[in-house]
Amino acid sequence: MIIADRKSLEEILDMIKDFKKILLVGCKGCVTVCNVGGEKEVGVLAVILKIARKKEGNPIEIDEKTLERQCDPEYVEQIRDIFDQYDAVLSMACGVGPQFLSEAYPSQRFFPAVDTKFFGGAVQHGIWEERCAGCGTCVIHHYDGLCPIARCSKSLQHGPCGGSADGKCEIAKDVECIWDTIVKKKMEQGRLEDLRTIRAPKDWQTARDGGPRKSIREELVQ
Amino acid sequence: MHLKNKFDVGKFTILAEMQPPKGVNVSAMVNSATRVQKAVDAFLVPEMGNAVMRMSSLGGAMILQRKGLETIMQVNCRDRNRIALQADLLAAYGCGILNIMGVSGEDPGLGDHHQTKAVDDIDLMTLFKAVSTLQTGKDLAGNELSGAPAFLVGANVNTRVTGDELEKELSRMAEKAEAGVDFFIAPPVFDIGAIAPFMEKVDLKKTRIIPTVMLLKSVGMARYLDRHLNVTISKDLIQRLMRAPDKATESLAIATEIISAVKAAGFAGILISAMGWEEKLQKLLDRV
Repeated sequence: MIIADRKSLEEILDMIKDFKKILLVGCKGCVTVCNVGGEKEVGVLAVILKIARKKEGNPIEIDEKTLERQCDPEYVEQIRDIFDQYDAVLSMACGVGPQFLSEAYPSQRFFPAVDTKFFGGAVQHGIWEERCAGCGTCVIHHYDGLCPIARCSKSLQHGPCGGSADGKCEIAKDVECIWDTIVKKKMEQGRLEDLRTIRAPKDWQTARDGGPRKSIREELVQ
Repeated sequence: MHLKNKFDVGKFTILAEMQPPKGVNVSAMVNSATRVQKAVDAFLVPEMGNAVMRMSSLGGAMILQRKGLETIMQVNCRDRNRIALQADLLAAYGCGILNIMGVSGEDPGLGDHHQTKAVDDIDLMTLFKAVSTLQTGKDLAGNELSGAPAFLVGANVNTRVTGDELEKELSRMAEKAEAGVDFFIAPPVFDIGAIAPFMEKVDLKKTRIIPTVMLLKSVGMARYLDRHLNVTISKDLIQRLMRAPDKATESLAIATEIISAVKAAGFAGILISAMGWEEKLQKLLDRV
């Protein structure tokens, strides 16, 4: 899923400083699962913002609404009747949500309350880690189900590099060197020779590097 | 006298594009350049235009500088991150390259290495800021430099636009000028009338604009430019080329006329793009 973190209170307060009445919109998709932008977090942020603004002597009115998904035009319609009753709309969805809202309601102003970080999952309660870079051409089968594109700092197809030490990456002592893990797994399974293949330079056209992407499924297009 | 001084005294400057080789055989580039060096004020060395891999602009420019020729090194945002860009700018200045031209760089999808990543770590305006920061004696991280460069900085401007697009282009040109751009290279011109709307809006005495004069190598090329690349070439001009018994001589005659028109209009100079006809440059420059 998409993992996001809430922006700092200071940043959010600065974005909405000129508004007296806003709609705070959550999303029941990924950001609910990663506990950053669901119904509960919308409620908490609304309270915090109202208290902060009251303290500043500049009270704000905030209504709350959490959509099934902000990345789906069908659910984006759920605020059709109310969107123009506000000075602005603050979205707690990933970066996709406020853009779908902006496109559906061009006369309104939309602000992001979260920073969208990566595609990943929870490794323990409260900790999420990146697993996929969305490069558009999955190669994890070459690496026993571990993705060096997303998980190696240098996205190396052939590793590890000289910065790998004691299973850690040179960028920080708490960052796993995924190439160390890949090599160990291959050794354990007696398939180290798999890594002797020199792979062709990666085709980055299918990743973000090839420009904005689109996925079309003919059978579903009406 | 360097290019900057020539600009300062108002000399009509002649620039020539000099493409580095795709390979290591530099003799054709060096010979073409040295043959016309007396008539050319500086050689613009492109940085892998159309995303086609070849010898870098820094390499090509250094080779020409070593022969005593003044160059303009092109720098793009596509192929290098901010560390490499700054490093190469320092290297260039250290090797005597005093002039640079910043460009965004075409998407790799247009070139011959489709599968690569474009870097685009910083964009063009940030690149100009990086240049001006280096010129204050600091790098983009705020670290002190041991000696600061002092480049003459160029950029592109599109003189062919009209209406709203012209307003946008003028705004972007002003933005570039504020960011430290000293001169602007304009696209190929074949009819000075086609850029009249631009000329009406710009004081050519205050802004150094250098249109490109491209040698038309064939009727086919002229038609292609006109149809696909938004370069206005009149039917009359195409017919004139078609009727000419010697296309090369006629092409040089056409280029000579354009150069005279550009000069008369008050532009700061011209950039000659020989499109592989570098060996004909001398003939052209003899006529100018």
